[in-house]
Amino acid sequence: MIIDVHAHWGPWFFTMDVAEVNLATMDRYGIDVAIVSATEAVIYDAPAGNRALAAVLSDRLYGYVTINPRRLAEAERDLREYLPTGRFVGVKIHTDYTKSPPSSAHLRDALALVAEHGVPALVHTWGPSVLELAEACRDTPGLRAIAGHMGADGHRYAIEAANGCDRLYLEPCYSHAPAGRIAEVAAAVDPRRLLFGTDATLIDPSSAFGAIAAADLDEDVADLVAWRNAAELFRLPVTN
Amino acid sequence: MGDYGRVRYLELEAFVTAFDAQRLIGDLTVTLDIDVVVGAYPDRDGPPGTPESVLGTLAAHRVEAAAVASIRSALFDVTSGNDEVLALAAAQPSVVPVGTVDLRDPIGAVPELERLADAGVKAVRLFPDEQGVEAGFPSVRHVARHAARLGLLVLTGGDVRRFWQPFTGLEARVVFLDTHFYHLGDFLVAAQDEPGFHTTTRLLNSPDALETVASILGADRLLYGSRTPLYEPVVPLLRLATGGLKPDEVAAVAGGNARRLLA
Repeated sequence: MIIDVHAHWGPWFFTMDVAEVNLATMDRYGIDVAIVSATEAVIYDAPAGNRALAAVLSDRLYGYVTINPRRLAEAERDLREYLPTGRFVGVKIHTDYTKSPPSSAHLRDALALVAEHGVPALVHTWGPSVLELAEACRDTPGLRAIAGHMGADGHRYAIEAANGCDRLYLEPCYSHAPAGRIAEVAAAVDPRRLLFGTDATLIDPSSAFGAIAAADLDEDVADLVAWRNAAELFRLPVTN
Repeated sequence: MGDYGRVRYLELEAFVTAFDAQRLIGDLTVTLDIDVVVGAYPDRDGPPGTPESVLGTLAAHRVEAAAVASIRSALFDVTSGNDEVLALAAAQPSVVPVGTVDLRDPIGAVPELERLADAGVKAVRLFPDEQGVEAGFPSVRHVARHAARLGLLVLTGGDVRRFWQPFTGLEARVVFLDTHFYHLGDFLVAAQDEPGFHTTTRLLNSPDALETVASILGADRLLYGSRTPLYEPVVPLLRLATGGLKPDEVAAVAGGNARRLLA
């Protein structure tokens, strides 16, 4: 059993044609369930993307409600509409596309809104911004946040961040695979707060899958990373 | 889009456990890895870049041979670093020596290129990012011209959207080592005009980048290059093994193309 907590559905603007390959891509790596956000929602128009995504979710593709921290009224409407369906199990916030770094007031307001709804928030982090997310998480009662990319090239910041907030989870996807990155994080962070994510269909799962394989995790830890932590965090009805 | 690799995965499904990369890679063997370095980066923690460690990592991933360049040459002293790689290749049949010049010294670079060519070296590696050199600096074009004149294959780092330019119009044979799938379109249009342009697959890790290159340019323009010991060699290996290339194309990417370019 593998659950991918960082995936996307929809087309990308790069030279690629991957809008229809979610399930085939998952199947290549034994990924049973993916939690996806709509690319349209992440990049351009959150409500329009959420609406399109709602029509394609299934027992293998669960959804994130993507919210734009600059448009919290829209966000509130979408959360109220989509979370009760049970197909949407979390919130996605991209800090770059919305120019809303974790230290910004509107991102903090957005995280408070997410906490009120009781679902996890997957937040894009890069470099030291993961520390800002940890600080925002500490300051937001009840929030459970996932540091998307776990800081990418800033994975050492992610270690510090996770160890500074017990409601912060780390998700490793990154198009680069520097040697030892996953092993270093796994050795320093509570394994109950490590998740598996790929960034598919932007990035092929080989990147995250291979990087984790290279870390040669103990079987119990690999099980937590592969699905147990995600199933508990998102309250997904899955068993191995 | 096809169902790249899905059939193969389903055949293995009964045996696969979470994160068991070896099951997916199967018997794929790399006959020549085009992107390997030895030496140490002072600005990074491990892993060690000793030849023993690097060759051990490659062997553990079924990489039979590697084109190896010296970080000592890239960062500190060109000549002694190149001599170390030549000595390593003389002692290790699995090592194909790759020379290095310093782009911060274009005047000194040319006699070193000539020395390397005279010694039978077939390729020269450029480290523009590590040396703080931009694609538009005169030194890059200067070195490109002389490498082409000497028939040396150039292996270059740097952003392909910029580093394609100094190699144009020279009939140069170049392998771009840092081509990211975000920049795939730029590589494709540049390489359509330059038959000597190639790329490694290390960062072409979107779900369809390899297949797109193969369909537009041909799989003979793709090379497996792991950047051991700085990157995890299993990632591009996994991408190649589970992708949609045909078996003969996979074999070409896994070393056949590199051997042809280094012949």
